[in-house]
Amino acid sequence: MSQRPWMNIDREQWQMVMALFIVGLLTTFLLALTDIFTHEPIAQAKRTALHSALTEVLPPYTNQPLDETLTIATPTLKDEHHLLYSARDANGNIVGFAWETIANDGYAGSIYILMGVNSEGRMHAMRITDHKETPGLGDGITKNQPWIDHFNGQTLNTIVWGVKKDGGDFDQFTGATITPRAVIKTLHQELLWFSQSRQQIFKAASTLNKEENHE
Amino acid sequence: MNEATLSAPIAKEPSAQQRIILDGLWFNNAIFAQLLGMCPLLGVTTSAENGLWMGLATLLVLIASNGVVSSIRHIVPKQVRIPVYITIIAAFVTIVDLAMNAWMHGMHQVLGLFIPLIVVNCTILGRAEAFASKNSAADSLLDALAMGSGFTLALVILGTVRELLGQGMIFGTVVFGADYPNMLMFILPPGAFIALGFILAIVNKINQGLEAAKKEQRQHPREVTL
Repeated sequence: MSQRPWMNIDREQWQMVMALFIVGLLTTFLLALTDIFTHEPIAQAKRTALHSALTEVLPPYTNQPLDETLTIATPTLKDEHHLLYSARDANGNIVGFAWETIANDGYAGSIYILMGVNSEGRMHAMRITDHKETPGLGDGITKNQPWIDHFNGQTLNTIVWGVKKDGGDFDQFTGATITPRAVIKTLHQELLWFSQSRQQIFKAASTLNKEENHE
Repeated sequence: MNEATLSAPIAKEPSAQQRIILDGLWFNNAIFAQLLGMCPLLGVTTSAENGLWMGLATLLVLIASNGVVSSIRHIVPKQVRIPVYITIIAAFVTIVDLAMNAWMHGMHQVLGLFIPLIVVNCTILGRAEAFASKNSAADSLLDALAMGSGFTLALVILGTVRELLGQGMIFGTVVFGADYPNMLMFILPPGAFIALGFILAIVNKINQGLEAAKKEQRQHPREVTL
């Protein structure tokens, strides 16, 4: 008897076990099925969202930046490397790069930023892709269009990178200084990194181009 | 007056099905009467549109879970019914979450964590336990539809009030014009509580009025014309 403990389980207990087992099995099957059907559309939706954001932050291009990515080491920044989307014109010349970065010192959690620079290292535009800043205060970084556009065309030298409160050229928002300060600081660091790594990036981009030509 | 008129019921008592609908939409409304599901209510109703989609997602889960729970009510042993319900609800929430991510990507980004959190919305487990486990599948589906619609209604009302006072807009359409000083507080969490408090007060006032009218009817039946 003791060697076969399951013999002691009575009918009622078996029913409980089987009920949970079958429900677990069926729901697992249902979820797997849903995953199969939604996997591709979700990937597609994310791609579409990223693609439309890319067209906003990059100068006009004719290639598929999502298919031409470069991984560049970023020793001076917190991340280990950036994934750069390269934009080219019809002649295959680089017109700009876009990449995603994160501002970690916002008011509430990380702020995800997609930024684009043109081939001279001038900032083209930036978009916030995800954040948890206070609605109505810090979320001006996604809603205050003049403030967002203030970054367009700036370089390291054309503007003082900081909010007015800190002696910079950018407005802070009423009741929210931390959020814009975090975004500006991150974008400034990123531009600095780009100007330092410019040669390396262009070199990587040219080898990418060659590889494609050979194919 | 003949006898028939005298003995006829003054206000026709609603049928069982009508009762389910009225309870779900108003008299036993998940928000206004039961005060359940406060987390999504206060969390996502910064605008009418957010409230609407959150409500519809909950409605969908409620219909699916009520339907399934009711159909298996005779098979599931009593002792394990709660884990079984939770498993079923969690499965449907995940399905809705994945589907919204795939086909309503923008709104999914906005509602974010609140979609998976539908699992812990007491309204859904509450209906499974209090209604679906004791009633036929058809009645349970009707109950889910009514309860879910009532919940959606409450979310849209609160979302509309907050969007209007906080941003001067309804469903993203500007109502008050550029001169309106947005009352930021109503977009923030404290504003959600304050707005909800006023809405509940109004609902209670209406219910008192209904109650008084009913009493009046019972005491002076002949004055009421049919």
